Amino acid sequence: MDAVETALPTQQLEQIKGVKKAPLEEYFTSGHRTCQGCESALVMKLMVKAAGPRTIVLGSTGCMYVANTTYYSTSWVVPWMHTQLGSSGSAGLGTAAALRVLMRKGKIKEEPINVIAFCGDGGGADMGLSAISAALTHPQYNFLILLYDNESYANTDIQLSGLTPYGAHTTFSPPGKMKRLLHTRWKKNVAGMLAAGHPECRYVATVCASYAVDFMNRVRKALSIGGPTFIHSLDPCPKGWDYDPMLSHELGELAVETGVWPLYEVENGVLKLYGRTKAIAEKRARRKPVREYLIRQGRFAHFTDDDIDYFQAKVDEMWEKWLIPGVIPFRKELEQDRPPV
Amino acid sequence: MGRLFAIEIVYRGIFQKNLAKNISRGIVLAARHAGKTGISFGRYGDSPERNGIPAKNFAIVATDDETLQEGMAKYEPREVDITIAVDDTLCKGVESWAWYGLQPINRLLKPGGTLLVTTMHDFDAIISMCHRKDYPYQLALLRGIPSFSGLWVYKDDHTDVRVLGAIARVLPDLFDLDAVEKAIREEWNDDLKVASARKAADRLRTRVVLPTEGNPEKPYAFELPRWYELREGLSIPAIPVGQGVADPVTGQVGGFRPARNPTFKKFSTRTMRPVVDFDKCVKCTLCWLQCPDSCFDVTPDGYYDAHMEACCGCGVCEAVCPVEHCITMVNETAFTDNRSQWEMWKQDKDAYRAWVQDKIRARPPRQHGFRIRGQYVEEIQQLVAAGVVDRSLGERLAEDVTAEPGEASAGG
Ligand SMILES: Cc1ncc(C[n+]2csc(CCOP(=O)(O)OP(=O)(O)O)c2C)c(N)n1
Ligand code: SF4
Ligand code: SF4
Ligand code: SF4
Repeated sequence: MDAVETALPTQQLEQIKGVKKAPLEEYFTSGHRTCQGCESALVMKLMVKAAGPRTIVLGSTGCMYVANTTYYSTSWVVPWMHTQLGSSGSAGLGTAAALRVLMRKGKIKEEPINVIAFCGDGGGADMGLSAISAALTHPQYNFLILLYDNESYANTDIQLSGLTPYGAHTTFSPPGKMKRLLHTRWKKNVAGMLAAGHPECRYVATVCASYAVDFMNRVRKALSIGGPTFIHSLDPCPKGWDYDPMLSHELGELAVETGVWPLYEVENGVLKLYGRTKAIAEKRARRKPVREYLIRQGRFAHFTDDDIDYFQAKVDEMWEKWLIPGVIPFRKELEQDRPPV
Repeated sequence: MGRLFAIEIVYRGIFQKNLAKNISRGIVLAARHAGKTGISFGRYGDSPERNGIPAKNFAIVATDDETLQEGMAKYEPREVDITIAVDDTLCKGVESWAWYGLQPINRLLKPGGTLLVTTMHDFDAIISMCHRKDYPYQLALLRGIPSFSGLWVYKDDHTDVRVLGAIARVLPDLFDLDAVEKAIREEWNDDLKVASARKAADRLRTRVVLPTEGNPEKPYAFELPRWYELREGLSIPAIPVGQGVADPVTGQVGGFRPARNPTFKKFSTRTMRPVVDFDKCVKCTLCWLQCPDSCFDVTPDGYYDAHMEACCGCGVCEAVCPVEHCITMVNETAFTDNRSQWEMWKQDKDAYRAWVQDKIRARPPRQHGFRIRGQYVEEIQQLVAAGVVDRSLGERLAEDVTAEPGEASAGG
């Protein structure tokens, strides 16, 4: 019945032109109980810095819930609510719908309010995926789902998720003498899958907090464009990835520079690579060897050179054989691959 | 009733998780060889552990089963015979993941109990960090750099067995060195580790700390509401948004200081802190923008002042600062307060320059966790050269880096 209802206007947030123009205010502040050097905490900070004060944040269970809101204590300046582990999609949709009802009934002032639901990779890519997918089919509601991907169920001390990289040491995949690698599946491509499968979703992007201004601008674009939108952020996690917290920023950069984490956005069905990824695709920059990324992380300390070569080959494949490098995994019918008969 | 022994191991969450587990397990095993019975466990409230945030393990030992039962079923013992700090910066106080306020490192120590610290510092430096106690206690120093490694890759620099040797020396009623040797052979079957434990007992230095000695500050604490006082919907008041910063010289107000969570300060998470040389700063914003803990206040004159009540010492700001020697991470033991560095600089630039130089010179390098493959092997070689780790029975450096599966624990 209300399928024809028009959406409420969204906040029009301007793109931030350079670091000096970033807002000074913090809406997620100090005193959270995350690890030293937690990039996911940085994601929370940049996410609401970009969104501004008229924002409601919904947090799915995980590090960013547990470490940021322990008994009678919080680091949030904007309203924040805890939602269950697999519920970021439903919570985002439900809150956006509730706001509209309250405004229609005159219970609150009619104004654009940002709704952001965040989830970890376990909550977003495994158990919450169906709710996110369902939410992205509702074009009349404005909300953003942000998946912060530390590549494990980090809060419960690092279990394997669908986004854990090949071969990594986790509580569920300890390397041993009989089997050096217990986890031999390749990471899911969540942003690509959601972009390809949800024509009503007007904005999907991948981001990395090492590139803070780009990051905030993707959040602003998602919130301004309206409807259900999705952002996938790769977050180095010093605890689970096992590295000196000082390297957090560098590892984010290396993920992009080695091509392990391509940066792109799909805006109204149009795909654009951006930042370093674009430079690599256009051959203005070189892809660094993945070795540089892997050897800095204790979770890959058991890798042999063969494992590193395999990892490299899989990343090369993403870049050389995929229909769109690093984004859409269908293979081009490359002549050298399958000569026409 | 028999005799009950309680020992707590205070450590840096995750970085020293495997180390703390080895120590508390080793204590119980050694005590068994001394005819006693015991249990080793971590504090549930500390889980899920976070990198660097202080956590505790306990070893409870008794002369008989009944006494053990009585001493065991506690969240945390009320008093302990020994407190072990496997990182000396913990002597400034402990603000755990799961509580509010700062606990002195020696809070649970019995009269006459021992605080055992692994450190390269002398008595005076350690005592000046520890909060004062009403009664005398013993301080024991075990020479060594803090052994930090991460969750998966364990750096076996013998700190675990050296602590066991030290305990045999300060609390012989619990177990002696022969019991330690038996436990090491049973657990690791390693002659080198036995030699390290014996040598540590030999070299341990002790001294009594009097009630007149130590940090006189009162540790901060919070009055928290009871569950029935919580607001409707169990809602928690949000943090107010921040405000401008006042220049200590001109009085001009500008920039921005975010308000901060008043009930969790995080600075006891820190083993080092950034020292900023404002003369070198080019105001690029990167430290401010990339700090995961939103530590930096933006000053009215456009500088970035790391707020020391919020900084957890991750070192990201040093890593991203494009100007050489503009931000330097310095060992936390070199500081006695949390003053604003920018205010110090504004008030007296020459004095500040001298202060910076002094701190940077006194900066013992500190590393947390894994940086690159082979790193721990190199570090252990240095320890062997310094005589901290005993290699007299032969070199087996290739085995020093062991990838041990950590233990899962639930939380949240
Ligand atoms: C339905 C449900 N199952 C299990 C848990 C226990 N749990 C709490 S946090 C967490 C890990 C979540 O992992 P992820 O979504 O990847 O977020 P991260 O912890 O990595 O930030 C789990 C399993 C829970 N809270 N709810
Ligand atoms: S485990 Fe990882 S994601 Fe969780 S608080 Fe620590 S660094 Fe952040
Ligand atoms: S060390 Fe630097 S980046 Fe890390 S918390 Fe402190 S001020 Fe922030
Ligand atoms: S990163 Fe360094 S140069 Fe840039 S603002 Fe911070 S202190 Fe100044």
